[in-house]
Amino acid sequence: MSGAQPGKQVVPLAEALARLSALEQANKLAEADDLANRMLAAMPEHPHILHLAGIIAYRNGRVAQAVERMEKSATLAPGVALYPRNMCEVYRGAGRLDDALRAGRRAVELAPQDARAYFNLALIHYERLELDEAVRVADQAIVLEPDFAEAHFEKAEALLLGGRMKEGWESYEWRFKLKQAEGMLPKTDKPQWDGRPLAPGKLLIVGDQGFGDCIQFGRLIPWAALLCPQPVLACSGELTAILRQISGIGKIVTRWEDTGDFEAYIPLSGLPRLAGITTQNVPPAGYLAPDPALVESWGARLDRLVPKGKRRVALVWAGRPTHKNDRKRTMRLEQFAPLFARDDLAILTVQKGEQIAQVGGYYGRAPLLNLGPEIVDFADTMAILQYVERLVTIDTSVAHIAGAIGVPTALVLPHAPDWRWLLGREDTPWYPSVRLFRQERAYDWRGVIERVSESI
Amino acid sequence: MNTGMQQELDVVLCHCGSGLRRVRCCDADITAWPGAEAVDALDAQGQEAVRLFNEKKYAEAETLALKLLDLAPNLRPALRVLYEIRKAQKRGTAEEALAVRLAALPGAPAVRTAANLLLAQFYVGQGRYAQARPPAAEAVMAAPRDATAQHVLGVVLTETGALQAGEGHYRRALDALGRDDGVVLANLAWNLKLQGRLDEAAAIYDNALALRPDNRRGQGGYAQVEFARGNREKALRLLDDGLGRWPDDRTLRLLRAMADLALGDAAAVLARLSDAPEALMAAELCTRGQALARLGQPVEAVQHYSTAKRLQRERHGQQYQAEEFAAKAAACKAYFTAERLQPLPRAAAAPARQPVFLLGFARSGSSLLEQLLGQVPGFVAGDEFFPVAELNELVPALAGAAHGYPQALDHSLVGDGWALPARLRERYEDARERLGLARPGVQFVTDRSASNHWQLGLIKLLFPDAPVVHVLRHPLDVMLSNFGQDRRLEGNCGVSMSALARHYALVMSLIRHFRGQLALRYLPVRYEDLVNDTAASLRRVVEFAGADPGGVPPEAVLRANGAMPPGPVPAHFAGREAVHTRGVYRYRAYQSQMPGLFAEVRGILDPWIAELGYAEAGP
Repeated sequence: MSGAQPGKQVVPLAEALARLSALEQANKLAEADDLANRMLAAMPEHPHILHLAGIIAYRNGRVAQAVERMEKSATLAPGVALYPRNMCEVYRGAGRLDDALRAGRRAVELAPQDARAYFNLALIHYERLELDEAVRVADQAIVLEPDFAEAHFEKAEALLLGGRMKEGWESYEWRFKLKQAEGMLPKTDKPQWDGRPLAPGKLLIVGDQGFGDCIQFGRLIPWAALLCPQPVLACSGELTAILRQISGIGKIVTRWEDTGDFEAYIPLSGLPRLAGITTQNVPPAGYLAPDPALVESWGARLDRLVPKGKRRVALVWAGRPTHKNDRKRTMRLEQFAPLFARDDLAILTVQKGEQIAQVGGYYGRAPLLNLGPEIVDFADTMAILQYVERLVTIDTSVAHIAGAIGVPTALVLPHAPDWRWLLGREDTPWYPSVRLFRQERAYDWRGVIERVSESI
Repeated sequence: MNTGMQQELDVVLCHCGSGLRRVRCCDADITAWPGAEAVDALDAQGQEAVRLFNEKKYAEAETLALKLLDLAPNLRPALRVLYEIRKAQKRGTAEEALAVRLAALPGAPAVRTAANLLLAQFYVGQGRYAQARPPAAEAVMAAPRDATAQHVLGVVLTETGALQAGEGHYRRALDALGRDDGVVLANLAWNLKLQGRLDEAAAIYDNALALRPDNRRGQGGYAQVEFARGNREKALRLLDDGLGRWPDDRTLRLLRAMADLALGDAAAVLARLSDAPEALMAAELCTRGQALARLGQPVEAVQHYSTAKRLQRERHGQQYQAEEFAAKAAACKAYFTAERLQPLPRAAAAPARQPVFLLGFARSGSSLLEQLLGQVPGFVAGDEFFPVAELNELVPALAGAAHGYPQALDHSLVGDGWALPARLRERYEDARERLGLARPGVQFVTDRSASNHWQLGLIKLLFPDAPVVHVLRHPLDVMLSNFGQDRRLEGNCGVSMSALARHYALVMSLIRHFRGQLALRYLPVRYEDLVNDTAASLRRVVEFAGADPGGVPPEAVLRANGAMPPGPVPAHFAGREAVHTRGVYRYRAYQSQMPGLFAEVRGILDPWIAELGYAEAGP
């Protein structure tokens, strides 16, 4: 190409933008970052480069830089609907819900036929606990794109969180059309169960979602077994020891090829809809119990490990990082400082996973015992929880375990929690032993742990 | 193949300075050395070199030895002659290379003993005790009735911390001699002092000095024992008597100055160590600096400390072994993970006496905590008497593993390896019991070994429920306190403030790793709390350990810190003093007078200051 410096490759802008976008889509974020920076150096005022570079900065965890870049792109090209649409999500990640709302509305205004713009706006209304608005805007997305699974699911979550269970369960059925739900259900031509009786062993129940969901909805298996005796339960290996305790199950399998000759299947999370569950008729907790032998051995171990005379409080502060809402729910160990300052407590962390490493940086006054490395599975956790006065936990599977076995629990929740914890109440119909401690402001944990500490 | 070309002779001399060609010295192919018969053929000429040496015809002896060794590098008489000449010339590298070669030659037991002793004593003279261990052990194995060999091995083991084994060899040296010997007895007494057996040590020093009144080191050692026993007047008498006889002995003078300091007479220290700073040794500079600090002259104190550190680096060649310890820490972290340790067996039965492991970077206050715990009924101070680290090298042998430690721990998963933790624990408990720590009524034995931070993984396997108490102190106070010391610290980290900070971060991050990967019964205790509210802090520790906090003496008694344990006495008890608060946030006064004092370590330490919760203490 004439005019090009020797050794320097000149790429047309459209091609470079396409490549940048492709790198971002392919999750090659370091490479994308590098290209974005080079493109910005060459054309610092190009709105679309700025916009894409903002998305890449956001996905690399540099939220402030993302906002700065994207705001600049929107200023340079105020008529492009895509920019406020994506900024809506970035503002949400930055915890700036007013700005997110403004951007979301602007996106809808600029592109009234864009279903995704409505969907993003619905998410913001959910975060702001404007649930009727969330449902209304999600419906607008659905009108534009009737098979828009994410919009249906968002609507379901808003309805369920608002306590409109019957409508909510219907929309909740769309969850299996979500991209991330692939592989959760068996590949079969058999129908989904409609609630009619079946012969023994002919119903396959699928533990379809996270561990917490399976434990929560597991209480409905006996109800299903009344209609279809000895159902087959397919679930992950980590859950078999626990779910085996639930009465009525025929057999438990962990591989699709072992399910046998079933006539219909139902995901565990589909049982509440069929059973017509509302906030008023949730089957009681107490359907799980720890293994007595484990309870005895953990009792002796804890007596040796935990200082005498201290009130024992178990703690979980982090969830599975791949969970879609993990950023909202997961905390850092140090955020539980109000508990750590107390001389009368001994903290027993039942946290598992990489986050246990945070214990190494704990220097509080309350003795802290990092039990995670000794816990093999949920059966251990259940046994340990028999010896604590309270479990303090974020919204993760251990909260369900504790609730299912009736352990007094302080569950700390984000401002806009998962639908199952409903709104405006400290208790939950799912688990009478669980008390809810909610954020007063979105993404702000200040004051929450203080309230938990005062309750102990 | 004969190419018809003449090969040039390699005439390059060896780098070690022996004077031999390199291909006949350090670069020699030992498989190409002449065999025994060929060497024997040269023996007469070798003896001739010896004769020339004995007749002090050194130049002729050297020339002949070099020629002979060019023919046969393994000709012992010539090698010995060359060794003696290089030694006399103080050519240390050559001396070492020749001594190593002499020790490796085959020969009659007596000859091999002598050669190995030469090498061991060479290393001992250089303070390289760990390297001295193999030749000293070889010497003993070749001649178990040789008193010198037993004595040298006793020295080596004592100086490498294997105190009980060292004691055994000193006693065997005395047996082999068939009589008391002043030097061996004095060394035995020093060993017992290190084991905390002060009364025995004093009695043996008495005997040793009666036999060898000219033993200056013995005189100093005896004084230290009496000081540790609380017989301070006697200690001062011994030192003053020694200084009367050897007024130029700087070790005795330093010990006397340290005694002045311990007795609170800082001015006397300045008078005693009044030489110009450039004429003082590192330890003297530090002691004088501490006296200046006591007298409220921090700037001058720091100048002294800085000079001392420079001397350690420049005159004594001490360097922080950063890479070696970084690699060791990385290997330790890589092995000791939750996933790997979870299935490993642990010693199941409850121990007869619960060890309480104390952690804390040097000068953090773990000695004070141990002294205070020693005053609580049921507790005894176990100090460093038998560190868990001593078990590391036993693991591969006991596990029958080809791997070294810690990988050999994996073998505890195989066959009867499950019993490995229990067997290791038995060794540990036996060793501590032999020291007299297992007295009636003792339920808790502290272990304050400086290596404990490396051993938390093994500790978890041997004592799954043992309390681990970590004494924390403001990192800048830790830096300052260590900077004013002439103590040998792990990895030579005491040679500069930045090395101290780097090693501090390494140790703290290692402990952080273990805590994140293990269910440790861990309690952090702050030095600042310990000295401000001693009884309450101690009650917290005692309660945490599982003992009755009602047994903690009243605040006034604790603060006096005057109790002497009946059994083995840890070395740090000699320096114990009443609990004081003058060391709390001492860095502030120094920083206000020397704003740049901590500049080079702030980047390393500020994150730790924040993590430990000291940021609120102010800048």
